[in-house]
Amino acid sequence: MPCGLFFENYKDDERIWKTRFARIWLIAFILFLLVAPFFTSKYVLYIMNVIGIFIIGAHGLNLLTGFTGQISLGHGAFMGVGAYASAILATKLHLPFIVCLPLAGLFTAGVGLIFGVPSLRIRGLYLAIATMAAQFIIEYAMRNWTSLTGGSAGLVVPPASIAGFSFDSDFRMYYLIFFFVVLATIYTKNITRTRPGRAFVAIRDRYLAAEMMGINLYKYRLLSFAISSFMVGVAGSLWAHYVQIISDEHFTIWLSIQYLAIVIIGGLGHVLGAIFGTIFMVVLPEVLRIPAQALSGHYPAIFAIFNSLRDGVFGLVIVLFLIFEPDGLADRWRVIKSYWKLWPFSY
Amino acid sequence: MKSLWKTIGIAMLALALGMGVSVQGHAKKGKVILVGGIYDTTGPTSAVGIPYAAAGVAAEKYINQHGGVNGVPIKLIANDYGYKIPEAVALYKKYKDMGVPCIQGWGTGDTNALKTFITKDKIVYISASFDAHLDDPAKTPYNFFVGTSYSDQIRIAMQFIKETWTDKSRPPKVVFIYPDHPYGKNPIPAGKAMAKELGFEIGPDEIVGLRAIDATSQLLHMKEFNPDWAWIGGTTPSTAVILKDAAKLGLKTKFIINCWGMDEDLPKLAGEAANDRAYGMFNFAPFGADVPATKEIRSVIGDKQYTLHFNKEWVAMMVMWEAMKRVKGEITGPKLKAALETLRDFDTGGLTAPITFTPTDHRPNTKLAIYTIKDGKLTFVKWSEIPRAKKYLGW
Repeated sequence: MPCGLFFENYKDDERIWKTRFARIWLIAFILFLLVAPFFTSKYVLYIMNVIGIFIIGAHGLNLLTGFTGQISLGHGAFMGVGAYASAILATKLHLPFIVCLPLAGLFTAGVGLIFGVPSLRIRGLYLAIATMAAQFIIEYAMRNWTSLTGGSAGLVVPPASIAGFSFDSDFRMYYLIFFFVVLATIYTKNITRTRPGRAFVAIRDRYLAAEMMGINLYKYRLLSFAISSFMVGVAGSLWAHYVQIISDEHFTIWLSIQYLAIVIIGGLGHVLGAIFGTIFMVVLPEVLRIPAQALSGHYPAIFAIFNSLRDGVFGLVIVLFLIFEPDGLADRWRVIKSYWKLWPFSY
Repeated sequence: MKSLWKTIGIAMLALALGMGVSVQGHAKKGKVILVGGIYDTTGPTSAVGIPYAAAGVAAEKYINQHGGVNGVPIKLIANDYGYKIPEAVALYKKYKDMGVPCIQGWGTGDTNALKTFITKDKIVYISASFDAHLDDPAKTPYNFFVGTSYSDQIRIAMQFIKETWTDKSRPPKVVFIYPDHPYGKNPIPAGKAMAKELGFEIGPDEIVGLRAIDATSQLLHMKEFNPDWAWIGGTTPSTAVILKDAAKLGLKTKFIINCWGMDEDLPKLAGEAANDRAYGMFNFAPFGADVPATKEIRSVIGDKQYTLHFNKEWVAMMVMWEAMKRVKGEITGPKLKAALETLRDFDTGGLTAPITFTPTDHRPNTKLAIYTIKDGKLTFVKWSEIPRAKKYLGW
């Protein structure tokens, strides 16, 4: 491991793997993830699958909020659009999963585009409210368009299957999700290194300056909305085929807020941020369950109290994170890495 | 800053240790029967969910004090899911992983969401949702519940309206008020079909959410139709809101309320507004009623006071216990299901009408008591039932 990095040109600076050491570790980590399902319980596998699905969606929102600086409170509903689109295509038109998934993504991208149009005129808090409207409109449609969405009873979705191979267990689904997570991560990482990616960041940092440099705000803002919705739509499709039942209750405003919390806690504008944020947000509520569950047998009265505390603790932890880690988990990761890089001779 | 991380580190370590201990606890499961519990103690139905969950824990204690299942104690793993379907799915997978033969579940939305898994995984699932969509074994062989179904409640309610209707010049006008949620919506077609059969005039539905704090606009709209009777399919807090606003607006409408919407708390929450206006479908006896089972309940919880929803989970646990005792050998989902289906007129100590399950019919009973509120007190009106007809099965 080199004690310092010295780049002579931009190409070096933009490389994904800055050192050979990092590459080896990453490959080792991926290998570890590939064999992990053989050793974990199904419950842990389920948590890992949920994390995987949400990472794909979080990458999408991170691209929009973290890189382009456009806030969205509608991504929970957009995930629902992807899930319902995929479910309806699979159950009503009997299309195979391999067709449903990209179509669901494209359809969600289209819906995202429509609701992204206000972003051309409004920003910040006002955009948050405009996208929140998307959330409520879509939620209403999911609940009341009974002939299409099954209403509040929801839709039963067949498990994903490709060329006769059915992904009907957590174990099989893990690899399918893993594939898409890797794809989404590489895609996000790469898009930030391209011309559109740089345009996104320029718009985020100062849109006026960006416009004067010749960046087409109209095009790139909508592009960001479309790509972002596409990814969250794909996540929705995977979710539908994984959980095998969807209802409007999955895709409430709470999910949208959760998505925002994921990218903020993880670190806005860091590809790693979406990953760390998702792991944190999915695992924390499950960890908080342990004390309540362990104590419920011995102190029945504690059960009710602890569970109400759980939501409180969840909120508290998020507040503490925002105070002590304003740049998110991705930044903390960077600090930890640089500490070890110089260990034991840190200064 | 560093000390903060140190604290977090120590906390994580402690948690990991705790996890280790709890895992060890499960490792010794050879001598316990694990039962999963999915309760709502924090979500929109927590007002009725807390006494329900308390009963699960109390019944576990009672069962183990009385010899467990043929000498083997049971262990209820109680968890809250906040009335969120994804959380229920997560808990379900967790319990499945632990190899539980039986889960004590909660809501209509999540139980319906899980039913395909339940059928596939062959885990007996006793829900607090009395949704009639779960009582046809041809579709949901592993779903059970222990009270008169929502659909049968709404049918009995319509029948009750017919019986008490004295004006021969016109049929009664009815309206259905419910939350926009599977729990509220699922029984409505059954109610409307029954109302139509009886020749009632049906007004436009009104949607009042479970967390509503105001129902004025809905009731003003309802006032135009001016119904004689309105069905409420909510929980106690939302029912109280409806009753209070109805009194405020001077509505003459009487309300007939399903089993989660009227309990001992309703007179307290609605006050005067509840008197002579509210009729409840009591498929379970009020808490502390003068029935044999009350003594058993008191033996574990002492003087603590709950609402009648406590009795629901108590009965669910007792039914499960009885079936477990009837299983020969190791308790598995399929064996437990078969044992449940041998129950004939099972006596619940007066908490419900006797319970019968058969391999072709999972309706526990079709009989319930109707209560009203007089002078701030729950007052028994009459027993009422509908025939256990094939045409009412499954919806």
